[in-house]
Amino acid sequence: MDHSLTFSGVSKVYETFGSGSKYALQKVSFEVEKGRKVAVIGRSGSGKSTLLHIAAGIDVPSSGRVCIHGRDLNDLSEGDRTRMRRDEIGLIFQFFHLLPHLSVYDNVTLPCLISGDRIRDVDARVRELLQRVGLADRAGDTVEKLSGGEMQRVAICRALLRKPRLLLADEPTGNLDDENGQRVMDLLLSLATDEGSTLLYVTHSKEFASLADEEWEIHSGELTKSVRA
Amino acid sequence: MIRYFFKAMGAHFRSGRLLFVLTVLGVALGVASVLSIQIINQNSLAAFEGSMMAVSGDADLSVLGRLPTLPESLYVDVLGEEGVAAAWPLYRVSVSLAQHDRFFLEVIGFDIFAPIRVPWEGGSPGDLSEVLARPGWAAFTPALADQMGWSVGDSVQVYSGSRSVSLHIGALVDFQKLSPLASPKMVVMDIAQAQHLLGRSGQVHQIDVVATDDTDVAQLQARIQKKLGESVQVVTPEGRSRQTEGLISAFRLNLTALSLISLFVGLFLVYSSTQASLVRRRAEFGMLRSIGTTRGQVFGLIVGEVVVTGTLGVLIGLPLGYWGALENVDVVSATLTNLYMLEEISTLHVSPWLFATAGLIGVGGAILGALMPAWDMSRRDTRSLLSAFTLHEKIGSFAPHLSAAGLGVFTLVGVWYVAGGSRWQHAGFVLAVGLLTGLPLLTPMAVRLLTQQIKFRTFGLAYALKSVGARLQTTAFAVAALAIAVSMLVGITLMIGSFRETLTVWIGTTVVADIYVTPSSWRGQGDEAFLEADLVERMRRFPGVKAMDRLRGFLVSSQDQRLALAGVDIGIAGGATRFTLLEGDSETAFAQVEEAGWVLVGETLARKKNLWVGDSVPIYTQNGIHSFPIAGVYYDYNAQGGAVILDLQTVEKYWGQGPVNSVALYLEAGVDTEAMVDALKAEFDTSAMDIRSNRRLREEAMTIFDQTFAVTRLLQGISLMIAVCGIALMLLVLAREQVSELALYRAIGATRYQLFSLFVGKGLGMGLLGLVMGSVGGISLAMILIFVINRAYFGWTIQVYWPWFTLGQQAITILAVSMLASLYPALKASRTPATELGRDDI
Repeated sequence: MDHSLTFSGVSKVYETFGSGSKYALQKVSFEVEKGRKVAVIGRSGSGKSTLLHIAAGIDVPSSGRVCIHGRDLNDLSEGDRTRMRRDEIGLIFQFFHLLPHLSVYDNVTLPCLISGDRIRDVDARVRELLQRVGLADRAGDTVEKLSGGEMQRVAICRALLRKPRLLLADEPTGNLDDENGQRVMDLLLSLATDEGSTLLYVTHSKEFASLADEEWEIHSGELTKSVRA
Repeated sequence: MIRYFFKAMGAHFRSGRLLFVLTVLGVALGVASVLSIQIINQNSLAAFEGSMMAVSGDADLSVLGRLPTLPESLYVDVLGEEGVAAAWPLYRVSVSLAQHDRFFLEVIGFDIFAPIRVPWEGGSPGDLSEVLARPGWAAFTPALADQMGWSVGDSVQVYSGSRSVSLHIGALVDFQKLSPLASPKMVVMDIAQAQHLLGRSGQVHQIDVVATDDTDVAQLQARIQKKLGESVQVVTPEGRSRQTEGLISAFRLNLTALSLISLFVGLFLVYSSTQASLVRRRAEFGMLRSIGTTRGQVFGLIVGEVVVTGTLGVLIGLPLGYWGALENVDVVSATLTNLYMLEEISTLHVSPWLFATAGLIGVGGAILGALMPAWDMSRRDTRSLLSAFTLHEKIGSFAPHLSAAGLGVFTLVGVWYVAGGSRWQHAGFVLAVGLLTGLPLLTPMAVRLLTQQIKFRTFGLAYALKSVGARLQTTAFAVAALAIAVSMLVGITLMIGSFRETLTVWIGTTVVADIYVTPSSWRGQGDEAFLEADLVERMRRFPGVKAMDRLRGFLVSSQDQRLALAGVDIGIAGGATRFTLLEGDSETAFAQVEEAGWVLVGETLARKKNLWVGDSVPIYTQNGIHSFPIAGVYYDYNAQGGAVILDLQTVEKYWGQGPVNSVALYLEAGVDTEAMVDALKAEFDTSAMDIRSNRRLREEAMTIFDQTFAVTRLLQGISLMIAVCGIALMLLVLAREQVSELALYRAIGATRYQLFSLFVGKGLGMGLLGLVMGSVGGISLAMILIFVINRAYFGWTIQVYWPWFTLGQQAITILAVSMLASLYPALKASRTPATELGRDDI
């Protein structure tokens, strides 16, 4: 079985001034099969964002191993991790993190700018993605004119642009109302399926977690797998 | 609150050391620039006044001639006037020290028995019979004797005109005891000896008068004036100072304006650093407001911090400014000597209030720079302070209003100028201030419009430039500060380059003789530096010399001002191009000057007094006022009030026979100039003379020109340095402001190198935008300097030439320095981890 993402005994410890060490993750181990959609549910401070950051190679574990598509992140330099993130991972954030001085189209193409791809080579794909999220006619608008739900849809397009094999989403609906949250979640799952991407998302919503193939729970840095397999 | 202020400030400074250092440096350089120029400006007159007070300090009045000298006989008339307690004549000669380049001594001949307080070392000059009878007996200052290693009993060789004279150091006289700023290069001797050895007998330059205790000085002044007639001027010491002050006022005003521009650029830095402080401390202020801190207290915290920063800047700037004055005093002193024939500045005297004023300007300026952001921050509601920051959006929305204000400034100043303001002498400065005020106001809009046009296809320079336009709150001020500095740089470079090229062309046209012979003691018209008549005749007959042009120059009075009068052999063959005419037909004008005794008037005088062809200029002659018709107006680059040219025969007719000051030799065809210079030096005792070829004279003229603008270049450099600090500061602010954006780039795959390049690109982008804006401003400033300010103050016509090479070099330097300034901020930005992706909006 191919695994997109593997955690083996991963711990993350933060040294806090005056109160010793604090475990954000404790010996977390799991495997995510290629093409699966996994939801990680947990409360604030449970360690779910740390898990996602480590999975993306943004942060490094204090101990344990993380493999993405069979490559051990411990063996990669910081630059290699960055390039892996650029080429193989799509990231979606709770607060969208769109650049206000760029248009919708430019925000979506940002990963290509960074990777050095020619914009004209991806033009059709950008328009296709925007079409699929219902924003084809907003391509030239600045993102400040968009609603929260629309912003997150732009962020999803940005994450999917380079056809990443692994999609990581940190509370993708956390800043949206229920209606918009539902719409964004449906879109994300549908697009991940269509693109053949593995999806790992963290959420505090049981309702949205239930939409995944697997639903895991994280509590005080410890992961309980297979709440629902 | 005060305890919190100090605790928070300490923490804040520690966390942003470089920002803090750059801000303090900006204020320090601005203060130093203003202080050093003000010290030099103050002392430029002080040296003249100090020397005047040392000799004429006891006098209530001085009688000065409207002709170069006064007949000695007038002294008796003055002494006989009722109310005169004492009077004494003075004879002044500028001599040059043998074997020293342009080392001038001011010899003052006076009546040794006159009741003048002379601060002799040891209380007296010694044996009076020796003072009067020993040829060349003179008293020197102890400072000069120390400097040169002389002592009483030594002999010193000096030149006066073509004469070489040995002066005997008979005594030491410390004029600085009477007047601390008196020049140490003053030498005194008996008046009869001074006249006989160094000048002309029977003539004096000045008669000092002391009134009796019960006499009204003003009334005595009027009575002496009436008695001696219009051929003399009776003035008080204050009147003389005012005359000299007027002479160099334009020079001083120009330097002051330039130094204030440096301070102006420094204020942008304070604004920017305050902005940076607010970005960092926004949440802190939000918290303070939420627990009950008033708006006034927040405002006080911000301004208080700026006062501390400004004070530190001042504390560094004051000694830096004093050091700057010390380092540059020689250059300015040389300029004053070259252009205005004033005393060299030998001692710097700085009154405490000058330091206090510079300090107040520094701290006040810093507060001014911080007022807007401090006020803006203090009036924000608590909720917005605690939420995501959107400062960059604000300036973006203000951009059209700021532009409208900038255009308003331009319109207002333009309308004022056209409607009559142009008649005011200082109008040029109003235009320059309008330009330098309007330009930064237009900058945000210009940056936005320019960056909006940029299309990017890669994460490279174009993207970096585009992102400069996205953070106007920060970038617009850096660009504006740089634009002002570049305006100053380009404007002055263009003006100086044009002036230099104009002078080069002018010298090429007017300096046409092959060899020029001048006494080494010659400092300018008005000096008693003559060539002896037989020497002139021998040179005229020297083999290889085809023709000789003689120049006799002295200062004369015309109504209320002194004119430099020059008598030349106007009709000399091949000499017609010596004076390029701005107005008047060359052939006719030269004929009128030669045959009808008309005059050529320098452009400076023509513009100042509105005297043109067809008008007449009244000049005091031996026989009273005579009006000379103007035959032509020639291009003239004299810094003093004005000049007139007459034929030498006309000069002799109206002012009598007299020695010439210099001669120009035209050589036979085929004679090698440099070989002829050597031959003349071998034939004549030329130790007291400078014999220069045409080429060398031109080179020396350009050297003096470059020396004159040395301080200007220094001020340009300071201003640019402050602006570059601004770029570094802004990029540091950006690196801080944009943490979330940078983290996003990192999260979606940008490498550290890409972020580093992005920031270097931003620095380059800001440099480029500042360069574009500054070039527009600089060209406008140059036109104001060339066509308005120079015309108003100096009356010069400067043709516009484009020093492309220099401008190109400067552009490359600015871009390179902008990139250099961005390296450290770029390094910091590149280290931003992706984990910094916070909840703040970006």
